[in-house]
Amino acid sequence: MPAETRTPALRTRLLVAVLGPLLAAAILIGVVGATLIADVVRRTNDRVLGGALGAIAETVQVERGEVTLDLPSAAFGMLENTERDNVYYRVAVGSDLLTGYADLPAPDPATLDIDVPRYRFARYRGQQIRIAEVRRSLPRIDKPVIVQIAETLDNRGALTRRLMLALLIGECVLVGAAALLLRPALGWSLRPLARLRGAIEARDERARPDFSPLDTGPLPRELRPLAGAFDRLLAQLDTATVGVRRFTADASHQMRTPLSVLKVQVALARRGSDAERRDALDEIADAVTRLERLVTQLLALARAEEAGVSAPLEAVDLHEVAAAVITRRINQAIEAGVDLTLDSENEARHIVSGHRTLIFEILSNLIDNGIRYNAVGGTVSVKLVTSASDTAVVVADDGPGIPPACRDTVFDRFVRLGGVASPEGSGLGLAIVRSAAARLNATIGFGDAARGTTLILRFPRVASE
Amino acid sequence: MRILLIEDDAALARSIAALLRAGGNAVDHVATGEEALSVVAGEPYALVILDVGLPGIDGFSVLETLRRRGERVPVLMLTARDALDDRVRGLDLGADDYLRKPFEPEELEARVRALGRRRGGDPLPVLSVGTLTINRSTGDADIAGRALDLRRRERAVLEALATRAGRVVPRALLIGEVFGFDEPVGDNAIEVHVTRLRTKLAPDGPGIRTVRGVGYMLDAG
Repeated sequence: MPAETRTPALRTRLLVAVLGPLLAAAILIGVVGATLIADVVRRTNDRVLGGALGAIAETVQVERGEVTLDLPSAAFGMLENTERDNVYYRVAVGSDLLTGYADLPAPDPATLDIDVPRYRFARYRGQQIRIAEVRRSLPRIDKPVIVQIAETLDNRGALTRRLMLALLIGECVLVGAAALLLRPALGWSLRPLARLRGAIEARDERARPDFSPLDTGPLPRELRPLAGAFDRLLAQLDTATVGVRRFTADASHQMRTPLSVLKVQVALARRGSDAERRDALDEIADAVTRLERLVTQLLALARAEEAGVSAPLEAVDLHEVAAAVITRRINQAIEAGVDLTLDSENEARHIVSGHRTLIFEILSNLIDNGIRYNAVGGTVSVKLVTSASDTAVVVADDGPGIPPACRDTVFDRFVRLGGVASPEGSGLGLAIVRSAAARLNATIGFGDAARGTTLILRFPRVASE
Repeated sequence: MRILLIEDDAALARSIAALLRAGGNAVDHVATGEEALSVVAGEPYALVILDVGLPGIDGFSVLETLRRRGERVPVLMLTARDALDDRVRGLDLGADDYLRKPFEPEELEARVRALGRRRGGDPLPVLSVGTLTINRSTGDADIAGRALDLRRRERAVLEALATRAGRVVPRALLIGEVFGFDEPVGDNAIEVHVTRLRTKLAPDGPGIRTVRGVGYMLDAG
């Protein structure tokens, strides 16, 4: 299925949704962390450098109009470290060097505030150095006294690298752990889904379809609507299946009687005399006709009840359909000695919206019933009436009629009205009529008649152009 | 054997009646439970075949009413339904046997014979009176190995007498058991069959006595 390949797996979705932002956050933390580390490393080392500067600057004094100093060894001890950084210093009065490295880059005294140490990077002897410098003001000395101390940056670099490495490792562990845990976490989260699937799959292993609600145990909140929707679908299927099962049971029930007749008559034909065999063959022929009619009616009913495939309604001329049905049924009527008539009130055209085949089926069944449940010399009249609100077909016979008490049930499948004289019907005719009428938005009902049966099929009136 | 068939489907009723009549039984047919209830009390039926799916009063109700009235006649129920509940219900209401449509004709005949035997209190298919042997399953009869060629009605009369050998069988009961109620029964209908039977049973078979004004009796061995 193409749709399946285009839809990414849940795992992929989650990886993209979680790992993407996590990675971006890691990069951001890395950048901010690096800046912070550089700042902290600079500040701490500067403080030590400043301490050494202060210790030297304190020893600068004026003795008899001369500037003197006593370099404290402790000041240099403070700057000793594992990286063996080089330490440089310079003390100058104006541009005259008092002691130290003469070529150490000198500041512009005007930019230095008195007794406020200043720090800066510079290049010296081919390497990057950090200089701490301070300007002192001594009594009776006009020229500015500048004290400088500097160190190379190996220790700072090493410290920065160590801290950055620690940050990087921390971040990698975080992102890696998230990526690794995602699979098992997803599996764990989806376990209720697997249980739901298990509950569904357990069903089709049973011999008979089971449409009771799924037995899933407690489900997480997110899955409950899914299980609920599935249960509702099952319930719908159940209803549909019960209908189909009842229909097939009824149908097979209905076939058993003619089949019994066939079996018995075949047995009689095998044993009997020629005359008995002829009688048996007649009975067999009748039973076969009955079965054939039953099967035809069952198919018609299945067609009428078939939902879903509903072609758009079309304009149907009731007069034309009724005439076609009567033409088809006229031989049956003549054989039964029943008079069959068609009247069109007002001689108007009676157009309804429907399906011609279904209307044909309805009228065919109504007229068939009228002829079948009638006596020699009886009549079946078909009348078309269009009133302000509807268009109706009235099929009336003068047969025995249907008692009012039975009128509710005759439209049910396989309901036949008993009586010794009742002809062999399938009990399906009116069920077909009702199903077909329902599909056409038409209604079927009894009309008032002094004798016989009057059935009225009403269609909503079609607005005439 | 006289059988009452209660079946609303005319074609099936005709078929079953023809089948059972061919087997030497007298069959009365009614199409509704109401008719069945009014008929069954007055006639000496050996068996009732009852369809469950009757219009109006259904087969179960007919059976229930029969048993409540104290009718002990064996009842064979016919049904088109598959449900086990139906069969159990029928048997619990007092049916003696159950047959599902569509049935094999041979099975119906065999069950009818079996129920008929049980009613006479003698479930053995072979009935012996002295030198006379009647096989109620096949309908064959012989006297000391000599096969008798019996007509359907003669066989019915002989069976009715043989099941009560040594006792007087009233003429009315005999007519009731041998003829259906829509069959024309002449005044001497039974007499004709008994006379023919006497000829066929002679000389080594049991004799049939006429008890004037009452009925007939087959000599017990």
